Amino acid sequence: MSDPGDARLVPRIAADGGSKPAGGSERNSDAEPLLSVRGLKKHYTSSRGGFLSRETTRVRAVDGIDFDVRRGEALGLVGESGCGKSTTASSILRLTEPTAGEVVFNGGGRAGAGRNDDGTHPNDVTRFGKRELKSFRRDAQLIFQDPTSSFDPRMSVGASIAEPLSVHGMTDRRRQRVIVEDLLGRVGLSATDYDRYPHEFSGGQKQRLALARALVLDPDLLVADEPVSALDVSVQADILALIDDLRSEFGLSVLLISHDISVVRELCDRVAVMYLGEIVEAGPTSAVFENPRHPYTEALLSAVPTPDPRSRSGHIELTGTVPSPSDPPEGCRFHTRCHRVVQPEGIDLDRAVWRRLLDFRDRVVAGEVDAESVRERLRAGGDGRTSAGRGAGAESGPDRSAGTDPVRIRQAHDLPETLSDRDAERTLADAVDALLDGDDDRAAALLETGFTTPCAETAPEFTTHGPDHRAACIRHRPEFSGFEG
Amino acid sequence: MTDGEPLLRVEGLRTTFDTDAGELVAVDGVDFEVRAGETVCLVGESGSGKTVAVESITGLVDQPPGRIEGSVRFRGTELTDLPDAQLRSHRGASIAYVFQNPQDALNHCYTVGWQLIEAVRVHEDVSKSVARARAIDLLDTVGLADPAGRMDAYPHQLSGGEKQRVMIAMALVPEPDLLVADEPTTALDVTVQAGILRLLDDLQAEYGMGVLFVTHDLATVSRIADRVVVLYAGKVMERGGVFDVFERPAHPYTRKLLACLPGAGGVDAAGGAARGGIGGSLPDPTAPPDGCRFAPRCDYAVTSCSVGDQPPAVELAEGHAVSCVHYDAGDDPTVLADVSRPSAGAEPAPSEDAIDDE
Repeated sequence: MSDPGDARLVPRIAADGGSKPAGGSERNSDAEPLLSVRGLKKHYTSSRGGFLSRETTRVRAVDGIDFDVRRGEALGLVGESGCGKSTTASSILRLTEPTAGEVVFNGGGRAGAGRNDDGTHPNDVTRFGKRELKSFRRDAQLIFQDPTSSFDPRMSVGASIAEPLSVHGMTDRRRQRVIVEDLLGRVGLSATDYDRYPHEFSGGQKQRLALARALVLDPDLLVADEPVSALDVSVQADILALIDDLRSEFGLSVLLISHDISVVRELCDRVAVMYLGEIVEAGPTSAVFENPRHPYTEALLSAVPTPDPRSRSGHIELTGTVPSPSDPPEGCRFHTRCHRVVQPEGIDLDRAVWRRLLDFRDRVVAGEVDAESVRERLRAGGDGRTSAGRGAGAESGPDRSAGTDPVRIRQAHDLPETLSDRDAERTLADAVDALLDGDDDRAAALLETGFTTPCAETAPEFTTHGPDHRAACIRHRPEFSGFEG
Repeated sequence: MTDGEPLLRVEGLRTTFDTDAGELVAVDGVDFEVRAGETVCLVGESGSGKTVAVESITGLVDQPPGRIEGSVRFRGTELTDLPDAQLRSHRGASIAYVFQNPQDALNHCYTVGWQLIEAVRVHEDVSKSVARARAIDLLDTVGLADPAGRMDAYPHQLSGGEKQRVMIAMALVPEPDLLVADEPTTALDVTVQAGILRLLDDLQAEYGMGVLFVTHDLATVSRIADRVVVLYAGKVMERGGVFDVFERPAHPYTRKLLACLPGAGGVDAAGGAARGGIGGSLPDPTAPPDGCRFAPRCDYAVTSCSVGDQPPAVELAEGHAVSCVHYDAGDDPTVLADVSRPSAGAEPAPSEDAIDDE
């Protein structure tokens, strides 16, 4: 109760969740974002080899990202598993210590502060001391993907929801109960649920409880990490609608993290797309969805199943998996999987063939395809192909078994028997022959020098594509514009 | 297998469990069939009985406490009568399963190759080297990059999508006639899901398998299904070809499910933010309501909906049937007009048509 912030806390919740104190400090806050992240990095180091080994690898989970969350806004952070979006969330809240960067949080009565003389910001979360951090964590709350594991099964849900109040000094049991019962109603449950236990609730209801607990301290920022991924589609809709309602009711800003871009579309005003620790595109939701400017965004959008059984084909398929963040690709980090990867001057192939050619090159260079595995595959292919399935013979026709070894290597990697580009064809033929001769190094060298892409050489910078809409892809630079489309 | 006989025919399947709270009816008189080379989707919310239904097919439900009634005929053989030993010869051989969580289905202590080779040698009496070649070939078939190299990888070295591909490879070992996939993509990222769905589609074309696909997500269904069976509280609400169900959904429950989809274009024309949920929750399976199981949550419910048993299925068109009192045989699905755009908190007011139909 000694905490000076307590006076602010109680009336805001008990009276009307929507009214924020109209303090003078918030007057000039319109232009100032609630949360401003600049150059945020989180690198993990791990030792490799034995435990006495000094050799370490550096996993660049988040590698220098910038974004803002404005007041009352919902920002979506999307990307595949392993792109660093959850690490971003925990770094912002300092659940893990960020390696570098600045996280300026202007909520909770901190608005309007200017920079210090040494260039640091007084509201920089990464520099907060213990007291400041505790009060920051009242103003910024987090909900997780799995609502089951985030509740203590031996505590009534009412007590769980009230716990943050006790932590922050509001220990009056009766007032706690009033606040929590009111909140239970607001998240679509009933006050009588106070004394029930987590196992009595369904997954969707538990996520409502998690929301109630996050809102009990009346935060300014809600970070929701995959809040609906574990739920049925029908329940997802309810929870997203609830988050949206609560956002306007409580004047919340929301940072929503999801791998499903369609979830983001429903709730968010703006989107940032993350790939391998970097933001590749950001902008207003409608602009990003209607006019994606980064191939990765395009692929993510294309992966979302639409409830239209007539639009089954024509989806962009991402080949390969997300590369390891301990050794991200040079240049544009997405170029190893990009369906629009740029061809160098002098090569003019079909886009899909060029992609597969680069995939083949990468596998040979990485040693995944070498003379030995090629021979093993050819042996397996001899009889294995036909034993693979009854349909195999009918599907492939006679040419598969009759093909020469070089042709079969190409078939195994979905490459055409001859490339339309003469120089490229010569390089590929030489490399395949080298593989068959058992000369892995020569094959790798041939492919590596013969097939290069500007995407691997130039790290893309952001280009602007409309108000507040930016994307990092070299195809948008004037010198590459000829390759677009 | 005689012509016209489907690969799998399930009739009157009823699976119940003895519990302390009384008899729990998980699946209550479900009929469906899967023909060779087609994909049938069982779709419904959590708790609708879809998983229990597919597990009942090969007796994967422990009996007791479970009890399976009804008929499951696989290529003309009645499976429910078979003694365990013979049933086992069907499991994994002619009927293969792929489950939701590949994490739990692979053994962490052995390499992927070891596990695949073992699976091959269980089903075929072949030498290790032949089994290895076959395993590599299977990994190639399921689209794993560098199949020969991946043979020596342990499960933890693979991503979720790769593990699911390994599971599919394992299911393909005996060249099954029927592949049962229970939420195989639910634990995966959307991008990975798209790849797995395409793989299943390709494999089906190549192997001519029947696929029984179980999911809660209608968007997934629209991508792969030939026919759809919509389950609710253990009962079939609607069945039909994928175009019928998506473009002319008849049952109020199906319409609600479609409206739940993000950016549901056709049904919820406003799209985006207007996505509605389904109010209420599934009925208590130990005490299902009288009449239509969905009536307590249905916007169109009238008094006759809550009387007797689930309404009989009426055929609206060839292969498109619905269990709803508002329809007579041969009716057009538009007979029951959309009450209003489903939105959270809207008054559940029955439409004029609904009352007239009485």
